[in-house]
Formats: sequence, C-alpha cells, structure tokens
Amino acid sequence: MAADRTLPWDWFPGKIPANVTVADSAYVETSFSFLLYRSERTSGVTIGRGASTYLGTMFDVGPNGRVSLGDYALVHGARIICDADVTIDDYALISWNVVVMDSYRVPLDPDARRDEVRRLAHRQPRRLEGGAPAQPVCVGRGAWIGFDSCVLPGVTVGAGAIVGARSVVTVDVEPFTIVAGNPARPIRRLTDEEMAHGR
Amino acid sequence: MQPPRENVHDRLPGEAPRWLHGELPVNVRAGQGTTISGDLAFKRFLSGRTPALVLGAHCTMDGVQFAVGADGVVEIGEYCYFTNVVLLCELAVQVGSYVVIGWNVTIADTDFHPIAPALRIADAIACSPLGQGRPRPPIPRQPVVIEDDVWIGPNATILKGVRIGAGAFVEPGALITRDVPARARVAGNPAEVIGRL
Repeated sequence: MAADRTLPWDWFPGKIPANVTVADSAYVETSFSFLLYRSERTSGVTIGRGASTYLGTMFDVGPNGRVSLGDYALVHGARIICDADVTIDDYALISWNVVVMDSYRVPLDPDARRDEVRRLAHRQPRRLEGGAPAQPVCVGRGAWIGFDSCVLPGVTVGAGAIVGARSVVTVDVEPFTIVAGNPARPIRRLTDEEMAHGR
Repeated sequence: MQPPRENVHDRLPGEAPRWLHGELPVNVRAGQGTTISGDLAFKRFLSGRTPALVLGAHCTMDGVQFAVGADGVVEIGEYCYFTNVVLLCELAVQVGSYVVIGWNVTIADTDFHPIAPALRIADAIACSPLGQGRPRPPIPRQPVVIEDDVWIGPNATILKGVRIGAGAFVEPGALITRDVPARARVAGNPAEVIGRL
C-alpha cells in the first residue's frame, strides 16, 4: 500500500479506508473489496502479516462492524457481511464465492421486513442498516472453508476444521472435524495419523 | 470488470430510472428512483417482447444480470433490492414488491436443455458452431413466481416452476425446487421448511 493508501497494482481507482490496518507483508489485490465498507470503528478491518485477499472479496462491513484477518489468512473471494465481529484466525483458508455473515440485516417478521425495505430506498446510501441483531462469527486457526459455502450468523468453525464445498454451516463446527452438506453435518474427525502428519 | 462510474447506492428516490452503464434497452420499463448497476446487466438481454422487463419504482438492482431469452418477460414490483443476482428467463419470472435477494443468487425458469438423451444430443448440435441455424428441440420451462415481502439469502438457487409465497424467508445457500408456503422459513438442499414466521 502506498502512502496515499492506494495500491500500486490496483485496476480500481479506490483507496484503502483510513480505519483499515494492513500489515506491510499482507497483499490486498484491489481496493474494490472496500466498495461496500462503511465501518466507523477504530479498526474496521485488520489484515495480518502475510495474509492475502483476492479479487471478489468484499468487505461489506456496517458502521459497527469489525473484521479481523489473522496472519497468513488466505481469502480468495469471500463476501464478508459484518455488522458486529467477524474473526478469521491465523492460517485460515477461505475459498471463492464463500459468504461469511454475522447478520441477516433484515427482521425475520415479514411486516417488519417490509418497513425496513421501504425505508431503504429513501436512505442515502441505500443500504440495509441492521434490522436484525448481529451474532459474531469466528473461523478458527487453520480452518478451511470450501467454495460456494455459507457460514451463518453466530457460528464458530473450530481450529483446523474443514468445511466441504457448497456447504451451509448453521451450527458450530468442532475443531479438526470435516463437515459438509446443506445444512452441514459432521462427516468425521481428522485421524490421529492426519493430525500427526507433517508435524 | 469495469469500475462503476458511480455507486448504485447513492441515488435519490425522485430521480428518473437509470442504468449506470448506459442507455436502458427500449423494451425496459422502470419506475421512479429505480437504479440498475453492472456492465453485464443487459449483456444477455435478448428478449423480443415489449416490454420484456418491467421494474416498479424505488428498486435497487445492484449488479443484476438480466439474461432474458427471445420470449422471456420479467416483471418486478416496487422497492425490490437485488445484489448480484443472475436472472435466467426464457418464459416468465414474476417478482412482487419489497423483495430482497442476496448476493450470487441464481433464478432460472428453464432447464436449458431437454431431458431425453437423443433430444439433448440434437440440442448440443443445434447449439454448436456446426449447427448452422438448426432449430433447438423444445425445452421445459415454467414460470417462477416470487410473491411480496420475500427474502432470499446469498448463494441460494431458485429453479423453474416454483412459487415462493408472500413473506417467506429463504436461508442462504438454499436450493428451491418446490413451492414455498407463505411466511415459511426454508433451508437446505433440497430446501425444507424449518419454521413459520
């Protein structure tokens, strides 16, 4: 990142917002990832040492949202919808078209939802402003989320867990466990051999 | 991808309808304050119908792709808010008002190809550069209807012939193959009712 907060390699004429912290050794492919960013917190997004975010990653972070990417985290094109706290821990791998969301942003009740949607069109900018309580989401250290998956509000994916492609994770995932499906179900725990391999 | 010249979210309600990347096609009707963004919005908009796309007032169509075939007609009510939706229409897609559809949702009213293997081979030939204008075989298509006040989460898929009842809540990633009752909460692949609102 240059001194004026632009990215020298960027195709998009944008800047990294002032309240975003990017480690010197991290790689952010494009400032387009911050098009929907509007956090007013001291540090709305933190990107750790050696972490990288590629094209397609969108930090859709509301005024009270905060996203933390740990060291060496790899985000290959995820939609991060955050109105409270989304934590992606060190060494986590997030594949393309993944949705990680800590809020539905609309009330469940259809009548309340209509009120929120009607107000939206008369707001500037036109954005849903949290018609639902946010529940923090955490993707643990070294966890791996397969492509097209969704991680829903309130979910914690344990350290070292694997979420299969196109899964929808609705409840917590135990550490070092493989889950898959929609809704995601446990497949198995990593074996002792796998746990020892490469140590 | 082309950078947008301005942000789809920064629009005033009283403004004339607009597509931020060019002139709206002549067979599109849109109400006051309605905004469409995305340079691919009309790349596959091939409908010969007039109108082929009707949008009510105050809609925000952020990055929507209207892939509408020769006979397709899409009707969308007022105050709808779509984000990066891929809308594949060969016949009819009807959406009510106050409908919110999340990022990367696909809606299709067609199977795209026939079921019968021989017809599928004939279709592959008709679609190929060697097809030389050969007509494609008939392909199943059935209207999709999404009623008022429906919410559809990101990464969901809506297939042909489905009616989603008013006020329904479609969880992220759900695959909808059958009708959804009004005010139902549905999730999964294939989607099942998990609650009532």
